[in-house]
Amino acid sequence: MGKYLNKVFLIYWKDIRDEVRSFDNLLSTILFGVMLIFIFSFAFQLADLDVEQAFSAILWVSIFFSSVLAIQRSFAKEEENNVLDGLLLGTGDRGSIFLAKFLCNLTILLIFEAVITPLLWIFIGASGVKASLGLLVPALFLGSWGLAAIGTMLNGMTVQLPAARLLFPILLFPLMVPVLVAVIQCTAAAFAAPGESVAAWLYFLASFDLLFVIVPLLLFDYILEG
Amino acid sequence: MESPWRKLSCLALMILLPVNIFLIFIYAPVEKTMGIVQKVFYFHIASAWIGLLAFVLVFIASILYLRKREAALNRLALASAEIGTVFITCTLLTGPLWAYPIWNTWWTWDPRLTTTLVLWFMYLAYIALQSGGETENRQRFAAIYGIVAFINVPLVFFSARWWRSIHPLVITSEGMGLTAKMRVALFASLITFSLLYVYLLQLRYRSLSLKERVNELKSKLT
Repeated sequence: MGKYLNKVFLIYWKDIRDEVRSFDNLLSTILFGVMLIFIFSFAFQLADLDVEQAFSAILWVSIFFSSVLAIQRSFAKEEENNVLDGLLLGTGDRGSIFLAKFLCNLTILLIFEAVITPLLWIFIGASGVKASLGLLVPALFLGSWGLAAIGTMLNGMTVQLPAARLLFPILLFPLMVPVLVAVIQCTAAAFAAPGESVAAWLYFLASFDLLFVIVPLLLFDYILEG
Repeated sequence: MESPWRKLSCLALMILLPVNIFLIFIYAPVEKTMGIVQKVFYFHIASAWIGLLAFVLVFIASILYLRKREAALNRLALASAEIGTVFITCTLLTGPLWAYPIWNTWWTWDPRLTTTLVLWFMYLAYIALQSGGETENRQRFAAIYGIVAFINVPLVFFSARWWRSIHPLVITSEGMGLTAKMRVALFASLITFSLLYVYLLQLRYRSLSLKERVNELKSKLT
């Protein structure tokens, strides 16, 4: 078990170092997210709509769209010089590659959210509104977990179909609908007056997340067959 | 390679389809408050049923494909997915036809409607994944997607229902008090549509097999 986790950690650490060294990739994802929240909040203001009410919607639409950029890189970078074959030979186990890639994507998404969430909060002019961080942080974490898990699995497939890169969001978004419903409830509740309990939604998210780490682990042998 | 089953189901359909039309439009009474528009319900429910049934078949065939790797299983899954898409499209089109006069809106985010729409999206994604080159990879990935999407369907339904139960329902239950004659018509529709599905599935399966064979012969020639 310890050996397995060590393997996962080594691949994870390799990917994180790669992200740090090619920082412009992460940066362009973050910039894309910033552009999205800017356009959304500005458009809402221009149309004279209540932008505070739309906070959770804007936040998660931006995260969903940007996650496509963030996650699509995770296997694509292994294509050069057949690194993926090397990884397979080195680990001899596909599950650990999935876990490492998933954790890396989760980390990237969390860093991304740490930047755009406060920014959106400022953009919509809700500085007076108190947010319950105890609810917002778990919602962001569990939502990103789901995105990273399903996204990593699907990216393992689409990266092997060079003609079908555009399919990635088309495959991803329908599967993410339960997460979308749940995280919007939780995020909205974090800004509402305390009272309405969303604990059930958090449990739902947690079970979804667990399920969609186990299912890809079982299926990943079939995805990276080559 | 003429299959006797296809001929048999074709013959049965030639009898059942007109009988079904008769049961729906003449035998079953016109609904008192909704009027003639209620007739769409018999087509609507039956195509939704086929949409779900076809998805179950995609799921089963996908699991078997991953285990056995027979192209025939993939053809079965793909044929089922394509027909399922057609029927789900019918469901999504007939629904608003009924909803607009009765609910006074074309669309509402009711759990059933939401799930049907998401199911439609997943069908389209599945078919998109299957079309194009690199056949072996695509078939394998489509099988995986077919399994994951099937697991996802109940989750979509429960999340949407849960959300609606927290918020007040704009539209309460459909309140379908069916008379005995209506139930007969509905039952007949379900049987007829199921048979239609079986028939179309055989046709599509055959055309996919022939297509594969043509490709094989072509590659032999060049």
